[in-house]
Amino acid sequence: MELLQQLTFLERGVLAGLIIGFICPLLGAFLLVRRITIITEALSHITLTGITAGVFLSQSIMWLTFINPLYTGLLFSLMGSILIEKLRHIYKGFQELAVPIILSSGIGLSAILIGLSQGSTVEWYNYLFGSIVTVSLFDLLFILITGSIAFLILIGFYKEWLSISFDQEFAKTSGISVRRLNFFFSLLIAIVISMSMKVVGILLVGAMVTLPVAASIQIAKSFRQVVLLGILFGEVAIISGIVSSYYFNIATGGMIVVSGVILLLIANLIKRGKQFVSTFDVLTK
Amino acid sequence: MIQIFFQFDFLRYSLYTGMLIGLLAPLLGVFLVVRRLALISDALSHITLSGIAFSLLLGRHYSYFAGLNPMYMGMAFSVGGAIFIERLRNVYRYYKELAIPIILSAGIGIGVVFISLANGFNNDLFHYLFGSVAAIRQSDFHMIVSITLFVLVMMLLFYKEWFFLSFDEDQAVISGIPKKTLHFLFIIMVALVISASMRIVGILLVSSLMTLPVASAMRWAKSFKQTFLYAILFSEISVIVGLFSAFHLDIAPGGTIVMLNVIILLISLLLKRKGI
Repeated sequence: MELLQQLTFLERGVLAGLIIGFICPLLGAFLLVRRITIITEALSHITLTGITAGVFLSQSIMWLTFINPLYTGLLFSLMGSILIEKLRHIYKGFQELAVPIILSSGIGLSAILIGLSQGSTVEWYNYLFGSIVTVSLFDLLFILITGSIAFLILIGFYKEWLSISFDQEFAKTSGISVRRLNFFFSLLIAIVISMSMKVVGILLVGAMVTLPVAASIQIAKSFRQVVLLGILFGEVAIISGIVSSYYFNIATGGMIVVSGVILLLIANLIKRGKQFVSTFDVLTK
Repeated sequence: MIQIFFQFDFLRYSLYTGMLIGLLAPLLGVFLVVRRLALISDALSHITLSGIAFSLLLGRHYSYFAGLNPMYMGMAFSVGGAIFIERLRNVYRYYKELAIPIILSAGIGIGVVFISLANGFNNDLFHYLFGSVAAIRQSDFHMIVSITLFVLVMMLLFYKEWFFLSFDEDQAVISGIPKKTLHFLFIIMVALVISASMRIVGILLVSSLMTLPVASAMRWAKSFKQTFLYAILFSEISVIVGLFSAFHLDIAPGGTIVMLNVIILLISLLLKRKGI
């Protein structure tokens, strides 16, 4: 705790970024193989609603001023994940409709709440696009605690998740409660989104979950490699994003995502190069 | 209360534009939902943001671009994004659904970098994100009228082909319908409508105008044609009521329009409890 208090604001930001760069791709790998990466976009947009609701309530109702928007954000994204499951059930033939419905109603409601609450638009940009210099000691603690919870859940259920992700039927027959694990999983996504939001911004959380793993899956030869390379790419994207945004004075979240995109391009080039070399080998033999 | 919309030019233009968008968005939305591509509109709208930001950045450095409507650059980017999505689908052959989140997040990220290079974190950006009642100029209006005409003509010409492709792709291809060309044409239309709607509804909310009315219409409609009628009806109601209430409450019209759509959706879900 004392160690944390001694950190400067920049060190706090970097530390928070490193934790996020570790957890996001880890979660992303599981989302990727379950083909539900897009769910993070929906949940991150509904987190924005939670944050605007938190700000709005703390402004308008006297005895609610203690509300921290982080908590309402977390609450909303939990509710969002339950709602998505409900909607999937309602639109049985068109399950993929659930995500855009939640995504757009989340943003729509937050647009109204932003309009109703006071405060400059610039403050909102910090929530939308992230800012590394505003990571407070409290935020860092929040990120540390939620990050370790998420890590423990992921590691604790690693085998079960692997089993569900690759063969749901088999997992069911071998006695894994798919329902309960699915619920845990949505919980996990909600937690990861609300912890990453402060640094990378709500609109860009999805990028941290998607891009590193999308890059690593092009090179990796096993699931374990997807996870490890994904984490490596995530950390590289975070560090180079933070450093470049500091020197060029550009929004941190944006630079992190652009580094992620560059890594993705490099990974694709490497894959293509490998394919070229192997076809060349075949031809020369 | 309503007369004021006819007193001022800019309000009149945004009302007319809103009504045109309320027609176009669900028209394309029905095909998007049926072909399970609803999310593509989200990806394209997010990449439109990078286009607009790029245009703002160019405008700061080159006087030629300063006079250019950012909408054109947004349009170019969203058409480019549409092509790129198709390419990514080929690259990730086993994880095709990855293409959309990649484009979506890359679009926003690149957009943020451009905006921050142009020092654009101000009120204008907010209007681009969540829409504005007063943002429509005469030139925007003309542009949207021509987009409407283009889309309507294309719809009349190729309705049967798209209908066929949506419900039985294999059979359609066998009977000689050029699937690739038609699909590409359709995605271009989606990109055009997105950049046209963005001024009023806002980039972050355009896609909801394409999916939410259709999702509600599917609860009521008994045929494919009825889905169109209900969807257009719902979206016109939400656009018109949303614009009026946004103007009088002084909040972003995107928010009110989308929330009206959500309310209509909730009512439809409650009243019509049928499985789809």
